[in-house]
Amino acid sequence: MFSLPIIALLVAGAQAAVLTLQSPRFTVSSSTGSQLRSEPISLAHASSIPVTLTKDDVLKLTFQVIDKESGKGVQPHQTFLRFYDQNSGEEGIQPIRVTNGGKAKFELNMARPPLSLPPTSDAPLQVSLLIGSSTYSPLALSLFDLIVPASHPVPAHPDEASFHPLPEIHHTFRPEQKLPPRPISALACIAVLAPWIVLLGLWGQVAPRAVHLFSPGIFPFILTLGAFESLLVWYWVDLKLGQVLSYGGVLALVTIFTGKQALSKIGDRRVGRK
Amino acid sequence: MVYLRSLLFLIAGFATGLNAKSSTGDSVLVIVEPKQQDNYSLFLNGLKKQGYDLTFRAPKAEAPVVIEYDDPTFAHVILLASENKVFAKDITPQSLVELLGKKTNLIIALSPKQTPLSSLAAEFSLTLPPPGTPLISYFPKREGPPSVIPVSVPATHSILSENLHPVWFSGVPHSLGNNPLLVPILRAPAESFAAETDGGSPDALVDAAERGGEGLWAGSQLGLVTGFQTLDGSRVTWVGGAAIFSDEYATKEVSKGVPSGNLQFARDVAKWTFQESNVLRIDRTTHNLVNSTKSLEQYTTNDQIVYSAYISKYDSKTSTWAPYSGIKDLQLEFTMLDPHIRTALLPVPGVPGKYSAAFRAPDRHGVFKFLINYKRKGLTSLQSSTTVAVVPPRHDGYPRFLSAAWPYYTGAISTSVAFFLFSAMWLAGDSHEKRAKGHKAE
Repeated sequence: MFSLPIIALLVAGAQAAVLTLQSPRFTVSSSTGSQLRSEPISLAHASSIPVTLTKDDVLKLTFQVIDKESGKGVQPHQTFLRFYDQNSGEEGIQPIRVTNGGKAKFELNMARPPLSLPPTSDAPLQVSLLIGSSTYSPLALSLFDLIVPASHPVPAHPDEASFHPLPEIHHTFRPEQKLPPRPISALACIAVLAPWIVLLGLWGQVAPRAVHLFSPGIFPFILTLGAFESLLVWYWVDLKLGQVLSYGGVLALVTIFTGKQALSKIGDRRVGRK
Repeated sequence: MVYLRSLLFLIAGFATGLNAKSSTGDSVLVIVEPKQQDNYSLFLNGLKKQGYDLTFRAPKAEAPVVIEYDDPTFAHVILLASENKVFAKDITPQSLVELLGKKTNLIIALSPKQTPLSSLAAEFSLTLPPPGTPLISYFPKREGPPSVIPVSVPATHSILSENLHPVWFSGVPHSLGNNPLLVPILRAPAESFAAETDGGSPDALVDAAERGGEGLWAGSQLGLVTGFQTLDGSRVTWVGGAAIFSDEYATKEVSKGVPSGNLQFARDVAKWTFQESNVLRIDRTTHNLVNSTKSLEQYTTNDQIVYSAYISKYDSKTSTWAPYSGIKDLQLEFTMLDPHIRTALLPVPGVPGKYSAAFRAPDRHGVFKFLINYKRKGLTSLQSSTTVAVVPPRHDGYPRFLSAAWPYYTGAISTSVAFFLFSAMWLAGDSHEKRAKGHKAE
């Protein structure tokens, strides 16, 4: 059945009647009625200068569809004006009413844009005319580019955003705590140590003598007191509470013993029982 | 369970000589009039050869039922009986929706006739033209009726093979709602429109357009074959006319010597619908501190965390899951009620299938979730959620030995030293009091 399709097509093409347009013309007029632009439309190529409509302008398009051979007016089944935005892919189809004699008139009033006009951006709309009929060859004509004011964006589905990469979110961190300059801290340290000057000065005057320092009754107690102090420093630097309590407990037993001994020694000495 | 199933598939794949199979099962129910069954032999035999297990059923036959004891009997259903108004009791729009909810995939053919299926299509955001208005196009000039249309296929499409020849279509178009779950597969030619079969009057078209709304179905915004992926991941493909799968169109040339792309197109559509192509899954996810491999249950504020996800894609040629690094726009969210951090989860070079992101935990404590919610048209959606706690530092986790505290440290140490010195002097010293007392006694 399709052994000779190309020949069949060629034959069909040769036989199919061809439609053409007579006196196609477009006019742009402002809302006051003054004509801004009026040009015939070339069937061979699209107009190189885009047609610009502001928000009150009216575009009028008139033509007559005729049989190319007989010249008689024809009313085709399909006479569509197609508006196409190449960037967004949006498309609008506007059927044009054609009389039995083939005459057609279309008016695009930007004050009341038809529903068929697709949502527009800054990009121009490509306007083409599609004429189709069961008895004639189809005819597609690219007319001109149309620049119209941008419309509102198309309302998107609420879930649409989740089907695209979402904007990145960065957490705003609290600023790092500011420390005072180290020299100031060092100065404050010196201020804290200042009483030692007074202490050491007075010490020089009093000049106490630690005569019993190494006496076997007292020295262990001083040693354990020192050990306690060191334990607390060690705790501050490294140890955990539990360790400190256990070490401190052991040390406390020793301290009680040494302290008892040392204090009783001192007591004995003071009352002169020695 | 999942592993067991995939293992079974693997064994089944080896048993049948590594046939291309679906990731969710091979049993297919074809609901078709027995008289028309032979019209689709190329497409259906192709499926059989691929390894699918086809069961045929007339639209009015009572068995085999699609859902038995609340369990779907088949993994996939093809409904080619598009013109039937009456189906058996168990084939209703409701049961088809239930099938989708039970992870069964459907291919549903529509026709210009008003059937229960055309009203179901509306539930999937597809609006059909009035009954009795198929798609017609006078472009391009060709032999044959205007309702049999060669439609050129998009050259690059995530579902279809590249550079397919145009496909023959006859049937009904649908306009697509803005539902993001829809996956347009084939669009109508720009010059086509829906009209009555006998042509209708030119004025009727203008009147339809002037009525507004969806009065005129025309142009390339219309869909002919449209997929829909539910939130559960099951897929349904709506086809404007069953004829697109027919032997007649598969063998019909689009022009001299150029075969139509129908057969390959039908295979691609079935591949997508039956979960063979564009099927992804998350194998596992991990999280840990930077420079560590141990996964923690809680992190401290300001920690540097690394999160990784391992993603596989189903390869129907070998019926296996293979690591897949091809996703470029995966995102990770770290959320507590709202996302606190949203960052790109990028493929790790050198490790196939691994996607990783490192970030600093927010300085707010609470219960956070690592969230992946990747939804793209035509792809299986990927979801993963892992809950971790972000806690403030422990009592000993704060910075220490700060320069600002030097005076306090010095104060404390000097007090201690002074106390020690005083104690030592007091204990070891010779008191003046005693001397004074001694003098008195003397």
